[in-house]
Amino acid sequence: MPDIIVEFGASQSIGALREAAYRLIGEASCLIDTVDARHLCRLTPKKALAGEADEALRARFLDLVTDENLREKVAAETAGVRDVILALAFGALAREREDSESS
Amino acid sequence: MAGFRDATAFAPATNLQLLPLRFERLRADRYFVSNIVGEGLLLNREQLDRVVSLDLSPGDGLYERAFEKLLIAARGQRSQLQLLAMRLRSRMAFLQQPTALHIFVVTLRCEHSCPYCQVSRRSVDRERFDMSEDTAICALRIALAAPAPTIKIEFQGGEPLLNFPLIQQIVEAARREAPDGKKLEFVIASNLALLTDEVLDFCRVNSILLSTSLDGPGDLHNRNRPRPGGNSHQLAVEGIRRAQTALGRDRVGALMTTTEASLDRVEDIIDEYLRLDLDGIFLRPLSPYGFAVKTKQFDKYGGQDWLKFYERGLRYILEVNKNGRHFPEFYASLLLQRLLTDVPIGYVDLRSPAGIGLGALVYNYDGRVFASDEGRMLAEMGDRSFELGDVAKDDYTSLILSDKLIGLIGGSLAQCSPECASCAFEPHCGSDPVYHHATQADPVGIKPLSEFCARQKAVLRLLIELLEDSPEDAAVLRHWIAQ
Repeated sequence: MPDIIVEFGASQSIGALREAAYRLIGEASCLIDTVDARHLCRLTPKKALAGEADEALRARFLDLVTDENLREKVAAETAGVRDVILALAFGALAREREDSESS
Repeated sequence: MAGFRDATAFAPATNLQLLPLRFERLRADRYFVSNIVGEGLLLNREQLDRVVSLDLSPGDGLYERAFEKLLIAARGQRSQLQLLAMRLRSRMAFLQQPTALHIFVVTLRCEHSCPYCQVSRRSVDRERFDMSEDTAICALRIALAAPAPTIKIEFQGGEPLLNFPLIQQIVEAARREAPDGKKLEFVIASNLALLTDEVLDFCRVNSILLSTSLDGPGDLHNRNRPRPGGNSHQLAVEGIRRAQTALGRDRVGALMTTTEASLDRVEDIIDEYLRLDLDGIFLRPLSPYGFAVKTKQFDKYGGQDWLKFYERGLRYILEVNKNGRHFPEFYASLLLQRLLTDVPIGYVDLRSPAGIGLGALVYNYDGRVFASDEGRMLAEMGDRSFELGDVAKDDYTSLILSDKLIGLIGGSLAQCSPECASCAFEPHCGSDPVYHHATQADPVGIKPLSEFCARQKAVLRLLIELLEDSPEDAAVLRHWIAQ
């Protein structure tokens, strides 16, 4: 059963590749090597693939990487406001506890 | 002096800010995109990219939808952040009132011999497998110390009616010893084969709910649930009818378990519930515990088989409702409550932090305390990972603050778990460390390989697409949670 190699340039976040590889665990194992500023993803399917299934697996992995890149972008851009929302939601609870313990 | 603000003050905001969001690809070009509390909408990729890059203009439709769903806000406007914070706090409010459910395993004996039994029931030895009065009183002391304002005590087995005198003692002691203001609810989970007028009278006087098992029509039920005489179905049906008459239609409910023999019979199963005038049905898969594993019942069908069964059943139930009969599917109702409201739900499997201990404690017949019903099922299989202590030695605080429970809950937070942390369905899901420990030997679980995860995603996807694409079905689904 041949492996499928998917290659990415240096600008591709390795974190997003790892997240995509994790989501693909049920279908294939993925080994990520970084060589000469390029990321090589070696996909080993969990079961034998027939016909065009290897292309479908490659496309699925690329879709997952695309989604993970967007998730990284969203997470980076909203980290600050997320912290504000969490503080507004649960900071009051901590204050209530402090007040009740001091009274 | 007060005056009107200039019209420009009411103009749509153009200086926008992206709010935290998550998304899941449902199909090639269809995404469920949700805000920080899980409320969401369906977008295609081009629309999702436009939202993330804030390429939106007032009047273009997408701007209004993204604003309404709190995916974007006017930069510097605090009210939308406060609204999300309030909703988030409401959804997590269950944490402020632990532990509402207390399960008393008053006996492990049972006169049934179901091959899928998840609790590894015993048939003999009253001395060894019945809870003693001393154990019950110690367990009750722990239960009544829980902070939850309403304590639900559920009697389970085995078949709990085999130790009915102890149930009577516990109910009476609970009423006598409950702190002022603490509300009590009682449930007996019984196969009803041993139901008597004395039991019904006691249930009526003490407002006790009955919960029974009904797997479908007679042939299917009796095949799944053998007992001497082969009359489990007849006794269950008679018991349901007697309980409905004596206690009221809404005071008796039934649960079904899906076996391999059920897979082609979902309409028959639902029809049986309708025939008995039950108030809904919970289409449940087999769980990986007890005899269900030992007798290999659990391995007889896969997750995809159950999902087909579930979808066919749900669509059939929707038709029943569209024909005028209010009849919810309870698993869908739970998830819809999560999807469409911010009301915290008590269902311990759909929580993160997990409901083990914080949502439920289980007092075994022998005095051991478990963090969940499934945890005691594992212990009957020799795995004591979810055993927290003993009623004779522990109190509520020592159980809840035990290193073991804190480690299990803290280590399995869905909000921090791989894949779950970025999953748009996470606010509607739970961590279920017992299931993942049982199936993967890892309380966090490898979610891409988890049937729990696959089931949650598939059912949520089905519900979301019905809500979006099918107005008639959506009206029924919304009606279920409005009740």
